[in-house]
Amino acid sequence: MNGLRDRTALAGVGYTGFSKDSGVSTLTLACEAILAALSDAGLTTDDVDGIATHRVGDSAAPSVVGPALGVHEPSWYLDQFGGGSVSHAVVGQAMLAVAAGVARTVVCYRAINARSEFRMGGTGRGAPPGPEVQYQAPYGYVAPPQQFAMYARAHMTKYGTKAEHFGQLAVTQRANAVRNPRALMRTPITMDDYLASRWIAEPFRLLDCCLETDGACALVVTTAERAADLRRPRVLVSAAAWGGGDSFLSGGRVDTTVSAAAELAPRLYRAAGIGPEEVDVAEIYDCFTYSVIVQLEDYGFCAKGEGGPFAASGAIGPGGRIPVNTHGGFLSEGYVHGINHIAEAVSQLRGDAGERQVAGAQVALSTAQPGYVLPATSALILRRG
Amino acid sequence: MRPVPDRDSAEWWAAVRRRELAVQECAGCGTWRFPARAYCPVCRAREWRWRVTDGRARVSSWIVAHQRFHPALAPPYTVVRVCLAQAPGCVLYGTWVGGGEPVAGEPVRAVFTEVDEGLTLIAWEPAG
Ligand SMILES: [Zn+2]
Repeated sequence: MNGLRDRTALAGVGYTGFSKDSGVSTLTLACEAILAALSDAGLTTDDVDGIATHRVGDSAAPSVVGPALGVHEPSWYLDQFGGGSVSHAVVGQAMLAVAAGVARTVVCYRAINARSEFRMGGTGRGAPPGPEVQYQAPYGYVAPPQQFAMYARAHMTKYGTKAEHFGQLAVTQRANAVRNPRALMRTPITMDDYLASRWIAEPFRLLDCCLETDGACALVVTTAERAADLRRPRVLVSAAAWGGGDSFLSGGRVDTTVSAAAELAPRLYRAAGIGPEEVDVAEIYDCFTYSVIVQLEDYGFCAKGEGGPFAASGAIGPGGRIPVNTHGGFLSEGYVHGINHIAEAVSQLRGDAGERQVAGAQVALSTAQPGYVLPATSALILRRG
Repeated sequence: MRPVPDRDSAEWWAAVRRRELAVQECAGCGTWRFPARAYCPVCRAREWRWRVTDGRARVSSWIVAHQRFHPALAPPYTVVRVCLAQAPGCVLYGTWVGGGEPVAGEPVRAVFTEVDEGLTLIAWEPAG
């Protein structure tokens, strides 16, 4: 991977507004976010020769989005099946395509109507396909909040992680969202609000769960050389890694208090040539509060089992040792399936994150769902350069 | 929600109908595995036989569903994740029928619940 270090860059980011009902198709959302990202980079659709997304049958495909934007002959497509765990792998694949010269300007996007059309929380929709479903769904175990609550409980019983630890994450991320004009949820919450929120799947309350959001986000990946000549401060892809983990089918990860990120992290840091102590800001996949706790451990910011107390210590807030989810994350900004975490990392490194800017941020970690649904995860280390 | 057995799992579900909690034993290396599939992930052997377990397990984790996650299932209900006593690498989920709240590490045993003529499901209760 070292041959790929800092050879590609994220040259632009683009968003649609976030809402509970966009009123438009995912195709429209995808086009809007891509055009915004190209404009941010100072590029046009004439420059685009690669298009990539990840989706679970719920969104417009690259082969549709390309022609819809008048991109008729892209040299590279990626239509990655998968949820949040592959979100960062999409950018990793784009990095490979650009570094190999197969494409020069790739747009990576995720467009979803996750509230108005396809509810991610699973309420009222059929179970997704997969060999494990037959062993779970008959018992009413069908939705992500249940799965992650199951893993959170195991962490609580093994390490003494408490509701207040999860709660402090929710409170901290909401405070970050208050400083983010894009965020859907901008009213501050307290620990009492957290503890009083209704049960969803015990031990998870409503405020442990991410939002279900309509919206899109897009990124522009190009060569490091070219990015130096574009509009924005350059953000290099220092490392991309994907893989790791185990699954229910492969015999089962019996101890779920360790995520796939534990296997991925050493590879990621090695590829970037740094360690966790050199990361200035971390955008950590937060489909649920617990997902952040386990990744704080598995990406090396604290010892195994210490994620709860670490999160509650103030270390992850503004001015803390490692500010986390500065945009408010999925819990409070909006849920765009991982791409908005990468976009926020880019903003932080460019220094244009406004009131929520981490002073002097040079290196960012952005991570995907840590492999609890599909047996793999992905992550990026980005660097201002 | 009715399970939809596939070509790998049909025999396993048939065993459950007979009130047997079975797992596969690899003929190559002896590893017990679940869920059912053709190849051993440890040694890649394709030969195996069914082993009926004693139905004993330990609670790994549990949740209490408070939201209506499926139209057919009225909350609240408790789902447990258990590891089999004879093969701790074999993880199963099931309805909790213990009454009180489960405890991590608690010994449990499988209970077979006949839903109708074509379907039996597994639940878990304290083994005392
Ligand atoms: Zn074997």
